[in-house]
Amino acid sequence: MSDREDRLRSLLDKVRAKRPDERATRAADALERIRTASGTTAAAAVQSSPPLPVQSSRPVPVQSSRPPASTVPPTRVPSAFPTELPSSPLPEPPTSPALDSPTRYSSQPPQVERPLSIEPRARSIRPSSPSGAHSGAPVAAPSSRRPESIRPQSVSPSGQPVVYATDPPEFPRAKTFGDLLDQTLSLRPR
Amino acid sequence: MHDGRFDPSGFYEFNLTGGMVRARTGERVVILSEDVLSSLVAAAARDGDLTPLRRLGELLGEQVLGGLDRPASVLSPEAVLGHASAVTALFGWGRLAFERWGSALVVALRDKPELDEDELGAAALLGGMFSEISQRQVSCVPTGDSKFIMVDFEVAETVWGWFKDGADLPAIVGMLETKRAS
Repeated sequence: MSDREDRLRSLLDKVRAKRPDERATRAADALERIRTASGTTAAAAVQSSPPLPVQSSRPVPVQSSRPPASTVPPTRVPSAFPTELPSSPLPEPPTSPALDSPTRYSSQPPQVERPLSIEPRARSIRPSSPSGAHSGAPVAAPSSRRPESIRPQSVSPSGQPVVYATDPPEFPRAKTFGDLLDQTLSLRPR
Repeated sequence: MHDGRFDPSGFYEFNLTGGMVRARTGERVVILSEDVLSSLVAAAARDGDLTPLRRLGELLGEQVLGGLDRPASVLSPEAVLGHASAVTALFGWGRLAFERWGSALVVALRDKPELDEDELGAAALLGGMFSEISQRQVSCVPTGDSKFIMVDFEVAETVWGWFKDGADLPAIVGMLETKRAS
């Protein structure tokens, strides 16, 4: 028995001695591999993943579907424009009033011409006036003003600028070149 | 009725073999450069004799009358101005215009040749032209800014003196009044 026991014990010792050594060396080797590769366990997980992408690269459509969902950069780029777009319209308003100022200058001549365009306004009042109670009074007022303001402008000879002197209303309106000559040649020192 | 338009076609007749240029009415004309003309006018102004320029103005007036079918006195100012400005432009004397300053008729001659500093050469030219057009003695007195007030020859020296003393056109017009018929 002793022989058997000795044999069995020796066999068990051999087995016990071999297995723990092998496990310890394997674990130690794995730990050493991980530490030498990146030094962290997270990097060890990343290093373990490379075989996965190699496998996932085979199904091309699967990869194409994943990138749009996982492609964060395209979603980030449009998100950056909206922040710029609202900022760009905001500075525009201050520029638009600057453009309004030159339009004001250009709008001054039409304002001067408005007195000449009183007639269409008066015509637009007439159709609306019958509905109102006072229909004749507002129409008669502008019609009486028109000849007073237009006549002196239309009498100017040859469209040249007319500058009135101290006593413009006294001289009669000349219609011919001879009338103009008579008036200018009759001038004498005061 | 006169349409008031001036027809410049055929105004000049160039006789290359004869070496002459004639206007439509038959007068022989000579084309001069502005420099030559200004020196001649300046010399005439210094001598106080601008009769040649007034005579040239009368010739221009004859050209104007040649294009009118009626006396200028019965035509509108626009019609007379149209013919007078066309003839003035054809002779290269600038752009003619009328202005009314109260009762005064003012002739503006823009872009005219630079003759003399006091613009007496242009005044003589305009005086001769409008005297011929109106068939009356007319004097055009310089009032600055290429404008000439048209007055009777009897008051021309007085108005010229006012301008030389510094009076501008509005002031000159203010110092004149219409002589009422008694």
